[in-house]
Amino acid sequence: MKSGSTIGLPAGFRDLLFGDAQSRRRIEDSLARLFGEHGYGEIAPSAVEYHELYRRGNQSVEDRAVKFLDRDDNLLALRADFTPAIARIAASRLLQIPRPIRVWYAGSVFRKVDPKRGRYCEFRQVGAELLGLDSVEQDVEIIDLALSSLDALGVRDAKLHINHAGIFRSLVNDLRLDRKSLRQVKAAIDRKDARGLAARLESLGVSADIHDQLEVLASCVGGEEVLQRASEAVTNTSARYAIAGLRKLANGLTRWRDLITFDLAEIDEMEYYTGIMFTLFHPRLTTELGGGGRYDALLREFGAELPAVGFSFSVDALADLV
Amino acid sequence: MNRQPLIALPKGRLFDQTLGLLARAGVTTAKRLNESRKLTFQDDEGQYEFVALKPVDIPVYVESGAVDAGIVGTDILREVESDVYEPLDLQIGKCRLVVAGPNGVDLDFARHVRVATKYPHTAERFFRSKNAHVHIVRLDGSVEIAPLLGLADAIIDLVETGRTLQENNMRIFEEVAPVTAKLIVNRTAMKLKSASIGGLISQLDAVIYANS
Repeated sequence: MKSGSTIGLPAGFRDLLFGDAQSRRRIEDSLARLFGEHGYGEIAPSAVEYHELYRRGNQSVEDRAVKFLDRDDNLLALRADFTPAIARIAASRLLQIPRPIRVWYAGSVFRKVDPKRGRYCEFRQVGAELLGLDSVEQDVEIIDLALSSLDALGVRDAKLHINHAGIFRSLVNDLRLDRKSLRQVKAAIDRKDARGLAARLESLGVSADIHDQLEVLASCVGGEEVLQRASEAVTNTSARYAIAGLRKLANGLTRWRDLITFDLAEIDEMEYYTGIMFTLFHPRLTTELGGGGRYDALLREFGAELPAVGFSFSVDALADLV
Repeated sequence: MNRQPLIALPKGRLFDQTLGLLARAGVTTAKRLNESRKLTFQDDEGQYEFVALKPVDIPVYVESGAVDAGIVGTDILREVESDVYEPLDLQIGKCRLVVAGPNGVDLDFARHVRVATKYPHTAERFFRSKNAHVHIVRLDGSVEIAPLLGLADAIIDLVETGRTLQENNMRIFEEVAPVTAKLIVNRTAMKLKSASIGGLISQLDAVIYANS
C-alpha cells in the first residue's frame, strides 16, 4: 500500500473505542472479581499454540484455526478454543496442586469464519474451570457460578439448556455404524430432521426399538419431567446412568429451576464433552450467551488423569445486554 | 426477539407453492394483498410474521438470527452452507441439479473442462468427489447460454422439465443432486420460540405427510 494513505483493518476484526472498550472492561472486571470471590485463580494462557493441540484436543476447530509457521517450520495456531489450552496447562503444570483446582481466564479466541456472513474472526471469552473431581457437586458449582455471575451483572431472564453428552452417544454407539453412516445419522439428529433420521435408520437396518428410543430423546425438551420420560424409554445402561446424573444435577439446582430447560434432543457440539453440557441463551440475543460442560477424557489426550468441568461467557454477547 | 416468529419466504419459483403449502396447513395470508407495500406481513391470525427474500440470502438471514426460520431449496442450502436446523423436507419445488452440455459433445476430463454455474461451491465439491479437475465459471443467470457462446463446455444447473435444455440443444450428462424445499430454523430461535416454531413444524408435517 502507498505510504501516506490510510490503512484499513482485515475483514472479520474490529477495534473497540471508548464506550465499547469500557463496557468490555467493566464486564471482564466484574467477572474477575466474582470468580476471585468464589476462590478461582486467574491464569492467562498463551495466545499461540502448536496446531497439534487442536488436532488432539478439539477437531471441530482444527480447520478453522489461524495457522502459521515458526522459524523451524513447526505449525502454530492462534488460540482457537480455551478448553484444550486449559487441559494442556493442567496436564503439565497443575498436577501437584491440591484438588479441586479452580481457575478462570479472559482473552480472545481466533477462528477463520466468513466475515461476509456478519461473523467475527476474533471473539472475546471469559471462563472458569473446575478440575480434579467428577462429582455432581462440581457440576452444580460450575452452573451455579455461571448463573450467579449473570445475576450479579444484572442480566435477567437468561435461559439455561442442559444436556448430557453420554445419552445420544451411548445410543448411537450401540448402532455399531461405520464412520460415514455414523456421520450421516449424527447430522440428521443435529439438523432436527426427524423424517430424514427415520429414513436413514431404516436404510441402515437399525432396529425399530433403538429407532423409537432416538425418537423419544429427540422430543425430550422441557422441565424435569422429560428426564423421567427419557429414563423410561431408554434401555442402554450408560445412557440411563447419564440421565440419572441429570436428575441429581436438577436436585442441586432447584434455586434456578425457572431458568432451566432439559434439552436431550441436542447432539454434542464439542466432541470432548463426556458429561453434562449446557448452553446459555437470552431472549434479546440471536447468539448464545455462553456455555460449557464436563470433559473428563480431554486431559488424557495430554497424558494426565484429571476430570474437569467448566464454562465460558461470550463477552461480546454480554456487552449487548449489560 | 420476543415477537411472533419471523419467517423468510423465498421470492421466485417457490413463492406461490410456499403460500399454498402454508394455507393447507391452516396458515392463511389473505391480508397480505392489502399490505403488499409493507416489508413484512402477518398471517390472518397474527401468529407469524413473514418477509419475502431472495432465496440465496435466506440461509444467511436464518443462520444469523435476523429471521427465525425460512423456506429454501436444497440447491441453495447446500451451496450456502450454514449452521441451522433443517427439521422438515417440505416436498415442494422438487427438481434436479445436473451437469449438462451441448448435444453431440462428450465431456473429456482428460482435457481442461470449463463448467459454468450459479452453484460454484456445489460444483467444486461434486467434481472433487469425482477426482475431476475442472475450471468453474461463476455466473448469476441464464447459465444455459454459456456453452453456446463458448464461455464453458458444460453447466451445472437446475432442471425441472428439461425444456430449457432441449430448446438450447443440450442434454443431461449426470445428476449432481435431487432438490427439494426445506424449512430451516435458527438455532437460538428454536430454543426461545419453541412452542410457536414447534407448532408450525407439526402443522406442516401433518399436511405434507398426511398420506404416509
